[in-house]
Amino acid sequence: MRTEDKTTPIIIARDVEKRFGSFYALRGVSADFFEGQVTAIVGPSGSGKSTFLRTLNRLESHDAGKITIDGIELCDNLQHLEAIRREVGMVFQNFNLFSHLTILRNISLAPIRVRKIKREDAEAKAMALLERVGLKNQAHKYPVQLSGGQQQRVAIARALAMDPKILLFDEPTSALDPEMVNEVLTVMRELAHTGITMLVVTHEMGFAREVADRVIFFDEGLILEDTTPNAFFGNPDHERAQAFLSQVRHGF
Amino acid sequence: MVQNWTKSHPGWTMFGAMLGLLFFLWILAIPLAAAPAPIGPAAQQFSDGARITVLLTLISGSAGIFLGVACGLGKLSRFLLLRLLCDFYVWIIRGTPLLLQILFVWLALPTIMPAGIDLSDFACAAIALSLNVGAYNTECVRAGILAVPHGQIEAAKALGLSPLQTFIDITLPQSMRVALPALANNLASLVKDSSLAYAISVVELTMVGYRVQAESYQPIPVFLTIATIYLILTTAFTTLTAALETKLDVGSKR
Repeated sequence: MRTEDKTTPIIIARDVEKRFGSFYALRGVSADFFEGQVTAIVGPSGSGKSTFLRTLNRLESHDAGKITIDGIELCDNLQHLEAIRREVGMVFQNFNLFSHLTILRNISLAPIRVRKIKREDAEAKAMALLERVGLKNQAHKYPVQLSGGQQQRVAIARALAMDPKILLFDEPTSALDPEMVNEVLTVMRELAHTGITMLVVTHEMGFAREVADRVIFFDEGLILEDTTPNAFFGNPDHERAQAFLSQVRHGF
Repeated sequence: MVQNWTKSHPGWTMFGAMLGLLFFLWILAIPLAAAPAPIGPAAQQFSDGARITVLLTLISGSAGIFLGVACGLGKLSRFLLLRLLCDFYVWIIRGTPLLLQILFVWLALPTIMPAGIDLSDFACAAIALSLNVGAYNTECVRAGILAVPHGQIEAAKALGLSPLQTFIDITLPQSMRVALPALANNLASLVKDSSLAYAISVVELTMVGYRVQAESYQPIPVFLTIATIYLILTTAFTTLTAALETKLDVGSKR
């Protein structure tokens, strides 16, 4: 199943559709993502970009179309789903740390339960990850004792503890106070250089421009632009994208 | 090793401490025997009665927690039939008097049970009390489960935890944190509600008091003794559940 061939996409999405009642959140989205690629997904709110991200680890099930991740089809088959969730990590807008567990336990829980790693080994690894995100001395605190930026860095460490091939970021800085955005972006910037596949739904245009290899622009459940950051920010093809950019640039 | 265990399992430590305190109350006859008549001579009766009350409370309290968790989950189930069944159970129990439920189990159940199964009076009381407290616990547990932030469940899913692992590691501990004050309240009520078992001739604490005062014609010292024993019992329960609450309250906003 698995392949090291760089020309085979690690994520293949074909004509993905998603409805909520009569509302079409996704109207046939197709895209391929390659290993090591950092993709920024941008667009107005309600455009389906978060929904698309959430279909990739089946937090939302797609109504039509086909999604293949690392050679495994995403469907109702529980074994497929387990295998995929092991390879795909996710970082949420509201961090979603387990509030009754210490930071260390937050990070080591899934490796112990899902990967069946010994507790000591999982905790040693958690400590190493905490050092990487600059929070080694917070290991025995609880999430509520940390600032938003610190919590999001823990959430990134928690996702990394499962050694995912793919990391999904769902507006990782949108719930943060402005002065905490940079500490999270710094960690993400470092991650981008490690060769992990990243899909980042974001409103941070500066980050998208500087770090991403590719920018995808969503509007009304469709991909309107799929191009390089320079092309997107320099000269977008679609009117909607131009309008969106002029809106977000407002105030800079 | 032991110290490590108590540190990492404060909830279970408190539970153990509660059992220890109840055990102490269980050997009540020794101090009571030193009291003047009519208490002293009946010390063993009081002690036996208290033992039955504690036993009844512990058995139906534990069964009630299991029932509460099971039906609390059932009420939130995807399956309509299961939801309706749990709703029906809570509706029946909350809508009828406990005394009627005890009498029903004692008098009506044997007539519809298959022959050969003989339930003791104590078992009847325990069944009725379990069903009763279970229904009230159901609502507390349901509220507790609903209070767990949905984002944390999604995070657990995204990390690859199975539904059972998610429930045991994430949902249950956090829902208990919310449900515990209400559950403790139900448990304190149960200590006293167990006195209704006297109606089906279970010789628990209240029944003992009734008998001793009938023999001695001294209701004041007898009932004061009974009341004191109940107070000690309920205080033991509430003190320890309060401690449990504090211990479970780690990492919460307040």
